[in-house]
Amino acid sequence: MLKKLLVTLAAITLFSTSVTAAGLQDVENSFYPYKNGAPSIPGLAAGMTVNQSNVELFKDALDPAMYQFIKSGDTEIKVGDTTSFDLHPSYVEATKANLPTVKLGTKPGEISGSLAGRPFPEEPSLDDPRAGEKLAWNYKYGYNWGDSAAIMPFYWKFRNMNNAKVERTLKFNFHFLNFTHRTQQEPTPAITPNPSNLFRGIYVQVLEPFDVKNTQLLIQRFEDDLKRDNAYLYLGFQRRVRRLSSGQVTDSFLGSDIMIEDFEGYNGRISDMKWTFKGTRNMLMPMYNHNEMTLDSETHKDDEGYQVVSFGGKGNCFPNVTYQLRKVYEVESESVDPSHPISKRKHFIDAQTFTIPRNITYDRKGDIWKSWSIGQAHPDHHLAQNKGTGVAIDDAFTMIDIQAQHCTTGQFKGIVDPKLTPTSKMTVNNLRKSGK
Amino acid sequence: MSKKEMISMSKIASGVAIGLMGLSMGYVAPSLASETEIDGFVENATYYRDGRGISKFRNTLQLEFNKSLQSANWMNVSINGTLRGTYDGVYDLNDEEFGKDATEDYLGANWHDNTTISSQMMLTPGTPFPCDNNPTMCSNLNDYMDHDENEARFPEFNDELDFIRELYISADKQLDNGNVLNLTFGKQQVVWGKTDLFRVLDVINPVDYSRHNIFDELEDIRIPQWMITAELQMGANNVFDDSNVSLIWNIDKFRPNNLGTCGQAYRILDAGCFFASGIPLGPPGSGAPVVPVIHGVEEYDWELGNTQYGLKWEGVYGDATFSLNALHYRQQLPSIHFRANTANPEVPVPFALDGVFDIHFPEVNLFGGSIDYYAEGMDAVWRLESSYTQGEELPRDTDGHKETDMFRYVIGFDKNIIIPELGTRSAFLFSAQIFGEHILDHEVDMPNDEENWFATLLIKGWYINNRLSPQIIIAHDFAAQATVIAPSIEYLVSDTLKINLGLNIKTGGDEQFPWSATALFGQPGVPQHEPLARFTNGPIGVANQEDEVQLTIRYSF
Repeated sequence: MLKKLLVTLAAITLFSTSVTAAGLQDVENSFYPYKNGAPSIPGLAAGMTVNQSNVELFKDALDPAMYQFIKSGDTEIKVGDTTSFDLHPSYVEATKANLPTVKLGTKPGEISGSLAGRPFPEEPSLDDPRAGEKLAWNYKYGYNWGDSAAIMPFYWKFRNMNNAKVERTLKFNFHFLNFTHRTQQEPTPAITPNPSNLFRGIYVQVLEPFDVKNTQLLIQRFEDDLKRDNAYLYLGFQRRVRRLSSGQVTDSFLGSDIMIEDFEGYNGRISDMKWTFKGTRNMLMPMYNHNEMTLDSETHKDDEGYQVVSFGGKGNCFPNVTYQLRKVYEVESESVDPSHPISKRKHFIDAQTFTIPRNITYDRKGDIWKSWSIGQAHPDHHLAQNKGTGVAIDDAFTMIDIQAQHCTTGQFKGIVDPKLTPTSKMTVNNLRKSGK
Repeated sequence: MSKKEMISMSKIASGVAIGLMGLSMGYVAPSLASETEIDGFVENATYYRDGRGISKFRNTLQLEFNKSLQSANWMNVSINGTLRGTYDGVYDLNDEEFGKDATEDYLGANWHDNTTISSQMMLTPGTPFPCDNNPTMCSNLNDYMDHDENEARFPEFNDELDFIRELYISADKQLDNGNVLNLTFGKQQVVWGKTDLFRVLDVINPVDYSRHNIFDELEDIRIPQWMITAELQMGANNVFDDSNVSLIWNIDKFRPNNLGTCGQAYRILDAGCFFASGIPLGPPGSGAPVVPVIHGVEEYDWELGNTQYGLKWEGVYGDATFSLNALHYRQQLPSIHFRANTANPEVPVPFALDGVFDIHFPEVNLFGGSIDYYAEGMDAVWRLESSYTQGEELPRDTDGHKETDMFRYVIGFDKNIIIPELGTRSAFLFSAQIFGEHILDHEVDMPNDEENWFATLLIKGWYINNRLSPQIIIAHDFAAQATVIAPSIEYLVSDTLKINLGLNIKTGGDEQFPWSATALFGQPGVPQHEPLARFTNGPIGVANQEDEVQLTIRYSF
């Protein structure tokens, strides 16, 4: 099937060469931004540490929240080499195949002709009023977890930032599955039958502690972005599946500092936000080789010897990972709904992978509320089975509520393996069955 | 069937279930695919009732375990179990109010004053724990609400082995057509429906109201049954996003709801004391013989014809999740059948002298369905659930009982609202339900109204990262004009320690008392009697003097 797809894609590519010659160069630039060398900033070098003493020199390479954290001594960051996170070739080829067909609709949230791959690989322009929206689509249809993956297990710790006390530890399994826009795992490009035309499913199961054990969340996202997600919650002590309203999607998830909409950097509809491209920058981003980091030998132990990323800094709210200088798109998303609990987010999107390693969230008054980091681990330096998958592995997150001086940290064991996430995981019935 | 036989039957059922499983799987590897997961909790629940003192001093140890097994032909094979042991010290700490020596001055003394002819002279007070005090009544109530005090003190350690809350084996078989067949055998809870507090479709397992009336989580008060379930998981097709058909066969011996034995702190509708009272054949205190209210309880031996079974088709269609349900089961509330005096015509009473009523649990056919729907415009979720039953029997004032079709439904509405003025960025959950019950063959002498409704409202909020959660539950019975208000606050001290402090306040209900539909007793100014008034007052109204402060501390591991 993959061969067939590649042949088809190649044929389409050849046929449309004259139309997309410039587009193909855009694809190359988009997926391989460092082929001609890594970005640089005077004075910044791999192996050094950015801290209170030198942060002013590198202010332009930091977002406002991270700059403030370092300036006030809450954390410091070690600089690593800029490395290329090459996405899977099938995704790149699908992007090329889509070039002639993909178009934005007239309204935000409308798109056509996007079968798979990155919809808008061209360099964004500040002159393009819809550039932010295009980047949002690139994120939504990105290769974030590939076609499917699981985080097994996934530790969330609620921490008091002032006294470093761990108030609560939740242990989860997370599963992700793309029904459409598939490029690598069979079947491609879509799973059928799919009567409601689902795009993606996210399934979450709480393993610990006892009081929330077997709580499960299922999010079904539709291909039609104008249609609101179906979200279901199973409460173990009730043994019932409950539909979630959107109010719960923007509420604290199980008491953490994260709302469901925060998952992965943004977990909502394109049409829920007004997207504005603010510019391209070279910034320090938490992207690294997991196996070379300082790991936490206490939180997780298994037969494979895998260990999760450790945390340090103020309140142990910061992952102990290296940051590398990378090409980043700064995008703002403003909530369309005036009753939404946030006014806007600033997203710092990694240009090569279209993951969102850094976010800043603003409250309704426009003040900085929360800071999000999600470390991206190179798949070739992680679990052996992730090697060659071309997936930037979500590996460690922190959501810091700056106003409350509280954080929720996440430690991952991310596994790219289609066997862990069959289609049946993404059904309402699975909630009942797994929760019993 | 004797109790000993019943234990054997349960054991046989489990043995058969596990044996069938092993045979059908062909091979279950003895080596474990994973470690056994074990967790659980210890809990103390201390409740204080206004005017009565401690009404509950329940100490619980619950263990839950799960063990995965490897199989050559089956997937996701696991053995799951929940064990629970409880000691309720109320019978030792407050034995004047609750227990085998806690006599009452008149029938219904715990929920109404002594102004009725029935409580003054027609009926004796209920005998607390008849099996500790009155062998005849104990014998008459055999196998139904005949617990002795020790069984109430240690409620799971009984002949039915209720300390095994659940014990079942589950496995999936991948079929050639892509469907998955799940088989589950063992003692288990099977939950249908989408409602809280009141049950419409969730009637496969009977419930134990003696634990805390209607107010405990159903998870904790469902009485698990030995069942075989088979579910064909068909997944998505060209029409439905998900579609599954499940067959349930309850192979356990029938068990009704536990309404609480006379002498227990919680006895819904005060039925336990009514069943443990009698009719004196002379003036009170004259030493005249007393005819027990209950002559006997119909038993349903374990045989194929007495097993219960159901079928459910559920699925997802667009924005709606739905189910269609059918169930053949036995009514879980008792139906009292009047026994006329045919043997002793010389005695001028209409009822038999060896007992006025027999208790039956008739067979019922239920047809129902449920659906929930997210209304995007309202940003709220609607839940609908309904059932139509044939074969239920309701009490009558003049004729004991009548079979009637019943229609019940629940409309639920859930919405989350952020209220910054209340000092939290977390949304408050507002969950409202209207529960309707319609008696299709109603008679004027039925204590239940032809149409009645209950309304419930839950408001729940969360503070300090969900570790502090205040909530209030309000439930109102329209016919009884009875209301319960239950505010509480829960605090998670840590991942393992949880404290819950609450109030449970009832009001109303007693205004509907006394009641009778007969010409003799129904006339204005004519003394009336109450035996069936408990049904008009409902579960909330009869508990109108059970205002409580409730403290629960749980340590989980």
